[in-house]
Amino acid sequence: MLEEIKSIKKAPVEEYYVPGHRTCAGCGPALQYRLVAKAAGPNTIFLGPTGCMYVANTSYGCGPWAVPWIHAQITNGGAVASGIEAAYKAMIRKHKTDAEFPNIIVMAGDGGSADIGIQALSAAFYRGHNILFVAYDNESYANTGIQTSPTTPYGAWTTFSPAGPVIPEGKKLMPKDLPKIMAHGHPELKYLATASLSYPLDLMNKVRKGLNANGPAFLYIHAPCPKGWSFPADKTVEIGKLAVETGMFQLYELDGGEYKLTYKPRELKPVSEYIKYQGRFSHLQPEHIEKLQQFANQRLKEVGIEAVAAPAE
Amino acid sequence: MGVKKRISGCVATANAVKLADVEVICSYPIRPYTGIMSELARMVADGELDAEFVYGEGEHGQLSVVYGASAAGARAFTGSSGVGVTYAMEVYSPISGERLPLQMAIADRTLDPPGDFGSEQTDALCCRDQGWIQGWASTPQEALDLTLLYYRIGEDPRVLLPQYACQDGYFVSHILGEVDIPDAAQVKEFLPPYKNHHVLDPRNPQIIGAQMEPSMGPGMQYQRYQAIEGSRKVIEEVHEEFGRIFGRKYAPWVEEYMTDDAEVVIFMQGGHAETCKTVVKRLRNLGEKVGLVRLRTFRPFPTQQVRDALGRFKAVGVVDNSVNFGISGAAGVLLTEARTALYGLGDKVPTVGFVAGLGGEMITHDEFYKMFAKLKEVAKAGKADKQSYWLPFEL
Repeated sequence: MLEEIKSIKKAPVEEYYVPGHRTCAGCGPALQYRLVAKAAGPNTIFLGPTGCMYVANTSYGCGPWAVPWIHAQITNGGAVASGIEAAYKAMIRKHKTDAEFPNIIVMAGDGGSADIGIQALSAAFYRGHNILFVAYDNESYANTGIQTSPTTPYGAWTTFSPAGPVIPEGKKLMPKDLPKIMAHGHPELKYLATASLSYPLDLMNKVRKGLNANGPAFLYIHAPCPKGWSFPADKTVEIGKLAVETGMFQLYELDGGEYKLTYKPRELKPVSEYIKYQGRFSHLQPEHIEKLQQFANQRLKEVGIEAVAAPAE
Repeated sequence: MGVKKRISGCVATANAVKLADVEVICSYPIRPYTGIMSELARMVADGELDAEFVYGEGEHGQLSVVYGASAAGARAFTGSSGVGVTYAMEVYSPISGERLPLQMAIADRTLDPPGDFGSEQTDALCCRDQGWIQGWASTPQEALDLTLLYYRIGEDPRVLLPQYACQDGYFVSHILGEVDIPDAAQVKEFLPPYKNHHVLDPRNPQIIGAQMEPSMGPGMQYQRYQAIEGSRKVIEEVHEEFGRIFGRKYAPWVEEYMTDDAEVVIFMQGGHAETCKTVVKRLRNLGEKVGLVRLRTFRPFPTQQVRDALGRFKAVGVVDNSVNFGISGAAGVLLTEARTALYGLGDKVPTVGFVAGLGGEMITHDEFYKMFAKLKEVAKAGKADKQSYWLPFEL
């Protein structure tokens, strides 16, 4: 049983995501990885479906883990984790190992969770394997050079959704809502939450709750990407905070089928405050920004927050 | 001592998996291999086998589950047929690349079309070059034995490679044959528990499947090449030991049937060879010098053994039960592999391809008679007038 971390000062000093990677400066996914590993501790196995956190981390001979790590295809993180879990269950039961049952954590990007990886993810949760599946959302296929994924926001520029005279807003589709897909329809689900690297204590405690849940746990982590979103590399944490404070991302846990907010912004800022620092939205016209505001309002409403923010300036 | 039972290829394989005392099984239904999994599910439900029985979400998921299970140190089993085999294609290379000696049973089925679930070796042959040990059983008994042989070969520390244990759909998977099911003590002697030192264990952290630089690529692939080439010696040793413990002796590479003074032979693999045997026997009774050479291990391909076996006849007919549209020789992969093995012997051994039994159709006695008649002509002329014949249209 992993105990609650009472304050950021009381977080463990030990690191299990250590130097040795070559992520971009200000990489959000790397920052959240460090927090997840710190919260999980030494009795942990990480799986890395193909994505940024595979490619930028696993240079042969200098991977940044102090715990075991295995590659999974971008398609199959949930299935490989299921196999590891089933193996440990059987080996412990049949006395073929004297190891303690480990924390089994999938660290998948939005492609490996919301898109090509969703079949394996859903199946693992349907079957009820005792795993923690972390979807770190940097809102694009970033490792391949920034292409749109199902979680890329409306209006964001990517190399597959460029803005042009015919398609002025860039990405035209509204993003998939992966945590809500996971929240409903998986009867074995034991824990579900969203988190942001900008709220590290909240994030680490959600990791621990997920690992303590004794069944499938899903954690959806907002992870800003300076390169893909075009903002300065020293602003990752601020951008993460702005996402929450403008309602573009909501921090909650699923509690008995109800969404329970774990952080409620005192005063919601307009989404224009969030997007103005990001080059990927720089082409947007007022009508596009209004659409994005309505999107945020709708998502907030779904988790119990009525937006009273002023309209976009 | 074991017990003798009349069971199908599917049930025989399931019995072998039980005897191998696997820890993780991952299922997904597709005919005809499904019978293996239903039997294993029954064994688990009845308490005959203590294993995690995981419902895969598809064949890609099945192979992914056993990849994880094997990497964690468990003995793992899965299987499939037809389009299921090709759906999982992405995962075959990572499994052999991480040197995970899990096993997959394939009961052959056509790809689509025709969509009739019929037997055809195309499915398993599509994934032949992925660094897996591969071969075909021709009877339910051999299906059982193949599973035990392959776990032992694949898990040998000198090999550490996954295995496709193949059997023709229906013709082996669903036909009852007398099977000697060995007892657990014999199997325990033959197949020690799976032990791999490169497993996921937090007490000894390892990184499995790290990304390599292109400069490391050649070395990594060369190691996998050395593993499958190095398995040849182990395959021979393990077959020898299998014979000693179980009293059933298999030639590891090719089985020869009535070849002693044969002039023409058919070269093929799988269960249709049993049909061919009855034709060979009948023709022998009529005084014809015919025989059969059945390939038992397809990967690694026994080039030298096939050359030695086939190089002494006046004509060789190669039966391909798969589609390989546009292939050199206009038949199938067995013909091209046999010709490669015979290369350099010039016109001494004319080879002819016969494509037969496609789409689930049987290869009839009549068709084998026609093949032998054609081979007799070829032997007499010293050459073939056509590279290959598609049955029943061209012969």
